[in-house]
Amino acid sequence: MTFWIAIALGGLATYLLRTLPLAITVRGTAPAPLRAYLDALPIAIIAALAGAGIAVPDGGPTGGAEVVAGAVAFALAAWRRNLLLAMLGGVVVVAALRAVGF
Amino acid sequence: MRSPARTALAEGWPVLLTSVVVGATYGVVARQAGLSVFEASTSSFIVFAGASQFAMLELLKGGANSLEIALAIALINARHALMAAALRPFLSRAPLVKRLGLGYILTDEAFALGIGWFRRERREISYYVTFGIGLWACWNVSTIAGAVLGASFDRPERFGVDFAITAVFVAIVATSARHRADLAIALAAAVVAAALRLAGASTLAVVIAGAAAPLLALRGRR
Repeated sequence: MTFWIAIALGGLATYLLRTLPLAITVRGTAPAPLRAYLDALPIAIIAALAGAGIAVPDGGPTGGAEVVAGAVAFALAAWRRNLLLAMLGGVVVVAALRAVGF
Repeated sequence: MRSPARTALAEGWPVLLTSVVVGATYGVVARQAGLSVFEASTSSFIVFAGASQFAMLELLKGGANSLEIALAIALINARHALMAAALRPFLSRAPLVKRLGLGYILTDEAFALGIGWFRRERREISYYVTFGIGLWACWNVSTIAGAVLGASFDRPERFGVDFAITAVFVAIVATSARHRADLAIALAAAVVAAALRLAGASTLAVVIAGAAAPLLALRGRR
């Protein structure tokens, strides 16, 4: 049930954010600091989730494998700009390091 | 001369191809996070915003409640209000009912290509509509494909599959940072969130820390 309420509300909010500025007349433009803030907001939240997922992968603190795998995923993504490749690289590295005891 | 619709596809196909890869990744990871094929594809249909959908999966796994997840989705997608406002002068000729649909297909990608088109002194809305619907179709079809093909694993930690969402977040940061300031904000948010999580904070605290990070950057700029 959590899932359905979450996507109903989250989906509605997303739709209204995308549609209201097209549907109703708003005078003037958003101030520059607000624009800069909203511009940086997604990457900051995603980065926060990444940091949290690396530090505490599954209930307990990381043994180092996730830190290395995170760096590999970052490098792959920056190099090839391919999300699937970066994900697979990160998963393979984390599995390999855990297998040898990290 | 090519029609606006064909130009949209000719110029936009690399972006469409990328969305197929990301959509399939989302489908696979959604299954791994415990969603059914129906739930995974419905979330792509209703929310239709990649980064916020991946964040939703992480929050679901972390045990967040529905309001917290909806708040995180809204925060991540708040930027679309500014994009819609910027497109308004070019789309306002369309009747209201059509504009309600034009908003639904507004994504980062549709905004970038659409605004590029209108800045070339072109007025045809069909360019934006064609690309937007194309991206919508690619995203939803590839979500279903990924969710159907993505097997669910028995002990995911043994194969590192539990790390998939985190790796996708890292990759989103790496591919969406446009300048050093973006990376500085991302690093600050990641470090603070990691510290909070190690100290036992909830996933909501992590999202709030992420939402606060750009504020520090704005203060520093002045």
